[in-house]
Amino acid sequence: MTGEIAPFTGFGLGLRKEHHAAFLAAEQPVDFVEIISENFMACGGRPLHTLGAVRERHPVIMHGVSMSLGSPHGLDRDYLAELKMLADRVSPLWLSDHLCWTGVPGHTAHDLLPLPYTDEALESVIANLRLAQDVLERPLLVENPSSYHAFPESTLSEWEFLRILAEESGCYLLLDVNNVFVSSVNHRFDPLEFLDAIPRDRVRQIHLAGHSQGPEGLLIDTHDAPVCAEVWALYAQAVERFAPCATMIERDDAVPPLGELLAELDQARSHASLPA
Amino acid sequence: MSLIERQRGFIAEIAADDDLAPSSPGMAIYRNAYRARLADALAVSFERTRRWVGADMFDLASAHYILSHPPCSWTLDAYGERFPDVARELFAQDPEVADLTWLEWHMQQAFAAPDRGELTPAMLAGAELGESDWERLELLPAAGLAFRPVACALPTLWSALADPAARPLSPAAIEPAMLLVWRKGLAPHYRLVALDEFAALAPLLDGASFGEAAAQAGEDRLDQFGQWFAQWLGDGLFAGLRLAD
Repeated sequence: MTGEIAPFTGFGLGLRKEHHAAFLAAEQPVDFVEIISENFMACGGRPLHTLGAVRERHPVIMHGVSMSLGSPHGLDRDYLAELKMLADRVSPLWLSDHLCWTGVPGHTAHDLLPLPYTDEALESVIANLRLAQDVLERPLLVENPSSYHAFPESTLSEWEFLRILAEESGCYLLLDVNNVFVSSVNHRFDPLEFLDAIPRDRVRQIHLAGHSQGPEGLLIDTHDAPVCAEVWALYAQAVERFAPCATMIERDDAVPPLGELLAELDQARSHASLPA
Repeated sequence: MSLIERQRGFIAEIAADDDLAPSSPGMAIYRNAYRARLADALAVSFERTRRWVGADMFDLASAHYILSHPPCSWTLDAYGERFPDVARELFAQDPEVADLTWLEWHMQQAFAAPDRGELTPAMLAGAELGESDWERLELLPAAGLAFRPVACALPTLWSALADPAARPLSPAAIEPAMLLVWRKGLAPHYRLVALDEFAALAPLLDGASFGEAAAQAGEDRLDQFGQWFAQWLGDGLFAGLRLAD
């Protein structure tokens, strides 16, 4: 399954429980909202009711965390079926997930675990992605994760891996600028080298988020803080390369009042309009 | 090392107990994230239970559960499913704890259970059932419907624990009853049901027809069965109806 995803320019936020009431009460100054797909799959009641009401006001992007594209065991067909049902209901701008694996049969980590960047892993991800795109009947966006562990058997860089993946599978890319920054510190590479290697016509969305300091100089992608100055600067570089695309701010912990996130989104608008 | 072997080793390391030290600072981050995410999921799913047993005791139970029950579903929302069973073992001297975890889990399940609709008294009246239709009338249970026998005043404890500052007393013993949980509209509900009333309801929940359930209730209790049925309908215990072939 290949297909086209038209560029969409806009600025959005993740739909988090803390802000459901605000989104239900009034239209908010966002161009789209991004949902975590799994929060609305195989469920009903108030969660689905809320999503339906928000969908009437805003375009929705579905962002998944459990597809496990890097699993050599293949994808969970029941999961894909549930995801397809939700996508058919929501008619999102697009669906995305991560370049990662999330577990082995019988044991799920509920985390975005890192892959060795090898030909074997590339084959697995391409096969899984092709299957997912066939079942979902649309191309997907694949996001670069933050990582804290590198594998000695890797023969490709992360950006080479992503470039080949996009070429071979027809997928698009969700560029998480914070993740590029976090991984560049953790694995000591130049984040601009990463950006330069990403095919310009495949990026449809950018994620921004905050991170925190971990042990031994490692940064952790915690989504619990405002976007930092270094990431804003990298974002301006990314916009210069990849616009037009959608920009979204992620906050999953220490979630502040909606007004604070809307103000941060205004910062993104400002950075996107400034020369890098 | 194959990708399959690499991933098995990776997940075994992050899910291991403290006897196995992480092999690198990065692996320590993954292990901490694994534990924290699961612990958070349990603390959110069992907020009132945590309040009742205290944070320290709950966190010990949570740590035990995380080591003994690796998650296996794609959704983190399913992770606490076996926690009530573990609570029954760990808090054997305080049986209300297992009851509380059960109620908390099923209230949450009912909250987000897939939609099934609701059979209202008006809808049933509008179906214009004839006498023979009632004999073969079958009722679909409401979204999230679950039940469990209890022997303490659990609803009182549940209500009191809604207040984070409350320090409720241990729930009083009661005549054994059945605790029902289900969703009506968008809100989860619960109700203690006397065992004789539940004995009349259970066949309907098991798929028996109205005629079969009424017959099981007994001819001398048909009036009572009718009153109970009206209450179940008003409570929203049924999602729909069908006429058996």
